[in-house]
Amino acid sequence: MTTTKTPERLQEPKGRRRWWQRPEKPPVSGGQFVIGQSKATPYLFSLPSIILVAAILGFPVLYGLWQSLYRRERLADPVEWVGLQNYNEMFSADAFWHAMNKTAIFTFGSLVVGTGLGLLFAFALFRVVQRLRFLRAVTVAPYIISNVAAAVMFRILFNGQFGVLNQVIEWFGLDGPSWLASPTLAMVVVIFAQVWTDLPLTILLLLGGLMTVDKSYLDASLVDGATGWTRARHITIPLLAPQILISTVWLSYSTLTGLGVVLALTGGGPLRATQTLAMEMYTVAFRNLEFNQALAIATFILVLNALLTLGYVAIGRRYDYEQ
Amino acid sequence: MSDRQTAGEPPFSRTTARATTAVTGGPPERRRTAGSRAKRVLRQVLLALPLVILVAWTLAPFLVTISVSFKERAAVFADPGLIPSAPNLDAYREVLSSESFTSSLINSVIIGVGTTLLTIVIGVPAAYAFARFNFRGRHLLLLFTLLPRLVPSIGIMVPIYRLAVALGALDSRLTLIVVYTGMLLPLAVWLMVGFFQQIPREIEEAANVDGASLWGRLRFIVAPLAAPAMITIGVLAFREAWNEFTLVLVLTSTPGKRTLPYELYLMQGIEGIANFPGEAAFTILTVLPFILVYTRVEKYVVAGLISGSGK
Repeated sequence: MTTTKTPERLQEPKGRRRWWQRPEKPPVSGGQFVIGQSKATPYLFSLPSIILVAAILGFPVLYGLWQSLYRRERLADPVEWVGLQNYNEMFSADAFWHAMNKTAIFTFGSLVVGTGLGLLFAFALFRVVQRLRFLRAVTVAPYIISNVAAAVMFRILFNGQFGVLNQVIEWFGLDGPSWLASPTLAMVVVIFAQVWTDLPLTILLLLGGLMTVDKSYLDASLVDGATGWTRARHITIPLLAPQILISTVWLSYSTLTGLGVVLALTGGGPLRATQTLAMEMYTVAFRNLEFNQALAIATFILVLNALLTLGYVAIGRRYDYEQ
Repeated sequence: MSDRQTAGEPPFSRTTARATTAVTGGPPERRRTAGSRAKRVLRQVLLALPLVILVAWTLAPFLVTISVSFKERAAVFADPGLIPSAPNLDAYREVLSSESFTSSLINSVIIGVGTTLLTIVIGVPAAYAFARFNFRGRHLLLLFTLLPRLVPSIGIMVPIYRLAVALGALDSRLTLIVVYTGMLLPLAVWLMVGFFQQIPREIEEAANVDGASLWGRLRFIVAPLAAPAMITIGVLAFREAWNEFTLVLVLTSTPGKRTLPYELYLMQGIEGIANFPGEAAFTILTVLPFILVYTRVEKYVVAGLISGSGK
């Protein structure tokens, strides 16, 4: 309530800055914002948000965790406490390990394709960065499409009979396969569709990284005669390591928890070839109507995802500190 | 390299200036003038190739879908070319006159607008409090940055469904609006906090000295300055509500209550023989409204996209 706190505000915040913190002035504690404000103001302002987020994102998770310790034998039966039985059965079920296997392929494939294409496109965009407006709009376009729309588009693109891709293949004199009917190729299509929806963010992350690369390294390497691929391989890509890692973790988050593309494109088929963990959870819950068992799978996905997020934070912290 | 920039220039992105020198001037091009003309042309072509692939990669799915949407059902197989030999609007007519499209379009618009408004109404004051005040509970902001990553929609799908069943809240637009708002709020608040922190507090202090109340400051100083950020979170909220699929899939079950993505999803399954032109036309009509506004708000989408990644 007293005088100005200017000197304190001019100071840098104490301690090292974490990656999630922007440089900021320390907030005021009431004193300066007197007129029309009571002590309750910040609470009144923030409580609706906090309550809603807690109700939508917080409570369901806890409720799910708790419910995963129960089960009902038949739909009409009341739920019974079974402890960790749902988890035990999950880990001994073939379907679960099948889904784990498919998730691993799906995630790894998306990572390789996504990071590779992301780097290629980011380097390409970086060269024409002043004329970026049109290209940036094109780049971001998949982001505004729903997963279902993307799935429809990919089903048309990869159609075995009239799909453009097969027409190109046939133009080369080869026989185009029926992509979505073959277990192996269906996974390929799903990976490409997932990457297609995720790539805008990957590209923007990597492009942002390229823009902050210290030019003096590149100039020094030019003096030493490094050009083109050599320079990218030995100078730029190592300098991009933080952004590559972040986009890697983001891609794996998105594929691990992504259900929309797979569900709308293949629904887990053919022959369960694209039955990822998320699909498995959906199947158990809404086709078999075994909600409590599905919650065990959901919890497992959440834990796996939390571990990834921790990795994300750790990586971000480490690199932010070093730079 | 950076000292090539003159100090007096407006600081509109140092990175752009840097990148400019990388493209236009600087050592590499000068060194290479020794090469023959043909070689340089080839080099330019090779360097442009990734951009061509990028454009093709992004636009190909759109183009084939637009192409198919103008064909007749039988012509999809008989006339597989990219440019339809006999383009017609049958598929669009069929979709536009179908009950499933019109009802889900209305639902999507209501839910989209509702989510946008609710996100702004609830999120902006919270962000302001987090950015400007020191109060017990301010540390929750950190949780806000992590929650969207810790809790993907797949994690709350079953619990939210069970809760909605228990509360009798299935098939309700309000339920979807509230759920989407809850999912968007962490990102929206996080974005706005960063933005509010960039508004110099001195402006508000000056207004305060002149006797402006908290409401007056918010109304006449903060809100106008924060308009771009509000547009950003508005666009992101609308996009989420417009495109979200997995939660609407479990939270609605009766015809007439679903949103566009759900109806599009059902369209694939219901008809025995796939109605490709119909699906394509439905897809294009779903995307079209957003594409129309997209050109205007694209930079906000990009801004939100980058902030949403947490870095």
